[in-house]
Amino acid sequence: MERLDVVVIGGGLVGAATAFRLAQAGASVAVVEAGYPNIGASGANAGSLHFQLERRFLENGEALADQAAQVLSLNRLAIEEWRRLDAEMGPDLHIHMRGGLMVAETADQVRTLERKVAREVEGGLDTRLIDGAEARIIAPGLSEAVTAAAYLASEGHADPKALTPAFMTRAQTAGVQLLQGARLTAVGSDAQGYRLTVRRGEADIELATRKVLIAAGAWTGRIGELFNLHLPIYPVALLMNVTERAPPMLEQLIQHVGQRLSMKQAHAGNMLIGGGWPSRMRLDATGRFDLDRSAELLTPSLAGNLGVASRIFPPVAELNLIRSWTGITAITADQTPLVGEVPQAPGVYVAAGGSAFTLGPVFARLLARLILDEREDRLSIFSPARFGHLNSFMGGRLA
Amino acid sequence: MSSSLSGASPDYDLAVIGAGPAGQAACLSLNGALRIAVIDEQARPGGQILRQPPRAFSVADWMTGRAYRGLKARLAAFEALSNVDFMGGRSVLGLREAGGAWTLTLSGPSGVEEVSARRVLIAGGCYDLAVPIPGWTLPGVMSAGGTQAFIKSQQLVPGKRLAFAGSHPLQLLVAEQALEAGGEVAVVAFIQPFSTLVWRAITRPWAALTHGAVLLSALGSAWRLFRAGVPLRFGRPALSVEGQGRVSALRLGQTERFECDAAALCFGFMPQADLPRAAGLQVTPARPGGWKTNHDEWMRASRRGAYVAGETTGVKGAEAASAEGALAGLAVALDEGLIDQDEARRRARPWRKAREAAMWFSALLEAVADPGPFSARLPDADTIICRCEDVVLADLQAALARCDEVGSVKLATRCGMGACQGRNCEHSLLSLAGEPHSERSAFTARFPARPVRIGDLAAR
Ligand SMILES: Cc1cc2nc3c(=O)[nH]c(=O)nc-3n(C[C@H](O)[C@H](O)[C@H](O)COP(=O)(O)OP(=O)(O)OC[C@H]3O[C@@H](n4cnc5c(N)ncnc54)[C@H](O)[C@@H]3O)c2cc1C
Ligand SMILES: Cc1cc2nc3c(=O)[nH]c(=O)nc-3n(C[C@H](O)[C@H](O)[C@H](O)COP(=O)(O)OP(=O)(O)OC[C@H]3O[C@@H](n4cnc5c(N)ncnc54)[C@H](O)[C@@H]3O)c2cc1C
Repeated sequence: MERLDVVVIGGGLVGAATAFRLAQAGASVAVVEAGYPNIGASGANAGSLHFQLERRFLENGEALADQAAQVLSLNRLAIEEWRRLDAEMGPDLHIHMRGGLMVAETADQVRTLERKVAREVEGGLDTRLIDGAEARIIAPGLSEAVTAAAYLASEGHADPKALTPAFMTRAQTAGVQLLQGARLTAVGSDAQGYRLTVRRGEADIELATRKVLIAAGAWTGRIGELFNLHLPIYPVALLMNVTERAPPMLEQLIQHVGQRLSMKQAHAGNMLIGGGWPSRMRLDATGRFDLDRSAELLTPSLAGNLGVASRIFPPVAELNLIRSWTGITAITADQTPLVGEVPQAPGVYVAAGGSAFTLGPVFARLLARLILDEREDRLSIFSPARFGHLNSFMGGRLA
Repeated sequence: MSSSLSGASPDYDLAVIGAGPAGQAACLSLNGALRIAVIDEQARPGGQILRQPPRAFSVADWMTGRAYRGLKARLAAFEALSNVDFMGGRSVLGLREAGGAWTLTLSGPSGVEEVSARRVLIAGGCYDLAVPIPGWTLPGVMSAGGTQAFIKSQQLVPGKRLAFAGSHPLQLLVAEQALEAGGEVAVVAFIQPFSTLVWRAITRPWAALTHGAVLLSALGSAWRLFRAGVPLRFGRPALSVEGQGRVSALRLGQTERFECDAAALCFGFMPQADLPRAAGLQVTPARPGGWKTNHDEWMRASRRGAYVAGETTGVKGAEAASAEGALAGLAVALDEGLIDQDEARRRARPWRKAREAAMWFSALLEAVADPGPFSARLPDADTIICRCEDVVLADLQAALARCDEVGSVKLATRCGMGACQGRNCEHSLLSLAGEPHSERSAFTARFPARPVRIGDLAAR
């Protein structure tokens, strides 16, 4: 059996984009995808390009906010990456970087915004604190309830339906082998690397590879078990809402510093409303979260999400909702993405957690360098080494 | 949004979605025992077959004919029930189960409201199967069902000169109703040859015999249309609609063209399945398209406290729908402990018989009316398949060549992402992707079952 350089587990954005960058650099790569490319969070997300610190980083105290601010270095790289993507991949991705506003209503929220903007400026972002009137000049549909906003001109959105397929098509053109409908079910190791068993339909396929990238999103923890590893990635289910198509009414990405909200108008005219309102994952027959079934919609989330959206941007209240969906994504134990080689399992890399629609393309570029043994310090702060204690009894040779 | 507080006892014992023959029969077989809410999008009960004209205009000879008499008597009895709150003019957007109660989210003239009940019966009926042909999205093209609904409720014909085309014999009846209501009929065209229609009927002689009356009425309609000079055509699979901004003609193949200002297409019906699917009830593919909800012999669906009856479980006509509704009502009584097994069985017997007899005929009708798989008679490559998002056949074929997963094609083309959420195009795409298929590999049905104003759902 011919040995591959890298097998990528997962054909979401992270897997597809990293496979492409690896192949561009000359590596032999296969992507193993249980469903089809983009079936997971990458095809179900809100498409926001979040470069400001997100609200979720700010709601758990200053210490965690400081730690989370580490992500800013990556966000700066991501801004450049998205500008390059626009040129590299063409108009079909609908990359739309016309600004993002994180709004505040109360005096408390304004103070949070002030601290946040200060942190961001220190981290090298050119976020600006503006008042409500200026925010309404930038985005005329915003309500009078908005008293201030953090404005970042490079924020925006892109089309999640297009991005992953675009990377995957390019990856395949560059020689990447895509195995779809193929689920990783068992792992063994040998002197040169890993032997993977992949189930496709009724048949088992064996792959030999030097290295493995686990890019399985919310499933990452489960894949970790196949490698005898604890990967502290937790699945969470979120709600998204979409309206009928509407005439142009919003150019920017809108978020709220005190409440869960993200809102934008997609290229076809539909308004997308989300922002991290929870859904409930179903349980499988053994009582574990069932990641392969869609999560259940929670009515309070629906009413809450549409409530903030209508209050902050009243024109949206007049539009018809045509669909609410749920998607499952991954968060890490400390909110910071988990990207890099697992020290207890040489040759096994992981990339998951965080807003990986925004960050996926930059993860891919840096990770490809790391996997190909080039020097890459920019990912060190995201290394799984920080959770080394979890794996001090794990890892080792696999049967 | 008003909401019943968790922990509070449910508003009703039973919520019934749909006040057609099935929903009515369920309430009637419960003998006034429970507190029941019946919700329907129509302002008045009746369902498809007895669509009542709005109260404002009273239509003197509404729905005459022998076939309707029994149904109308049951409707009158239903309207007299005092244990039923009829909540008309409200759409059920979604339903969910928690802690032994079902909560329904409704939207109506006064916004969004919730109703809770310990049990729920979904009797949502069926809707017209949309079959894409060139020009089918032009204004003036309707379904024969929609045309009939229009005639029934308004006593008006939607156009001066109508052309009918499709595979379902119902179009003969609707064409005749259009004539009677003062319209002109340009043509009634079937895609099947006459011999196929007859052959499919005579290979099911038992059903044909027991339902001779209904068959005769279809033949009678055909005869009267013929006598009135309406051209009848058979074996014309290459249908298309022509017009600039509005339908002006129906074309049958290269040579025949019938001028008209409205066209009605009739290829049969699909069960309403949005609510069962979104609620996680098990379903099975239906013929000629869509999904029928699974049930046991007592019309219990796959989740506790949920029942289904009528066309939601497969298109089968009003008589079978009534019978299933009655069975579901008895099942609720049984599960509530109002009656025992013996009584339930005894009372169910005549309904089971009636259902079985009617099912023979619906199987016959299904066979006669079957347009065959969409993939076997593809229209031109530039024919629109998803009318909400303007996705044409060629787009779908190109996407399918890359990946034959329906979900992937949806993401790549936007097919099924518009206002109707795939209700009209899912079956065409599934047929293109190749059968057999399962619900898990199809579109995912989601909240809301009907578009609803954001402001009505928003928390204040
Ligand atoms: C509702 C929602 C909204 C979001 N909004 C945003 C946003 O606005 N901006 C933003 O930046 N991020 C957003 N995110 C997060 C973002 O979508 C994810 O971080 C990102 O898509 C993760 O990409 P991924 O490739 O790691 O995972 P995924 O896209 O989930 O891909 C993982 C893949 O692994 C496959 N897989 C699983 N197990 C196996 C196995 N055993 N063998 C083979 N394959 C397997 C799966 O089938 C799947 O395709 C959102 C997420 C959700 C759910
Ligand atoms: C246009 C048309 C013409 C037909 N003509 C005939 C005929 O001539 N003879 C015959 O035997 N059969 C005919 N049928 C079949 C006929 O529908 C059934 O025989 C019978 O009416 C089925 O009864 P039901 O109770 O299952 O559904 P229906 O009578 O269709 O009743 C279902 C009710 O549920 C309501 N509903 C559905 N979804 C929702 C929702 N989300 N929220 C609220 N309310 C909802 C609908 O408004 C409807 O009133 C026809 C069907 C159609 C569509």
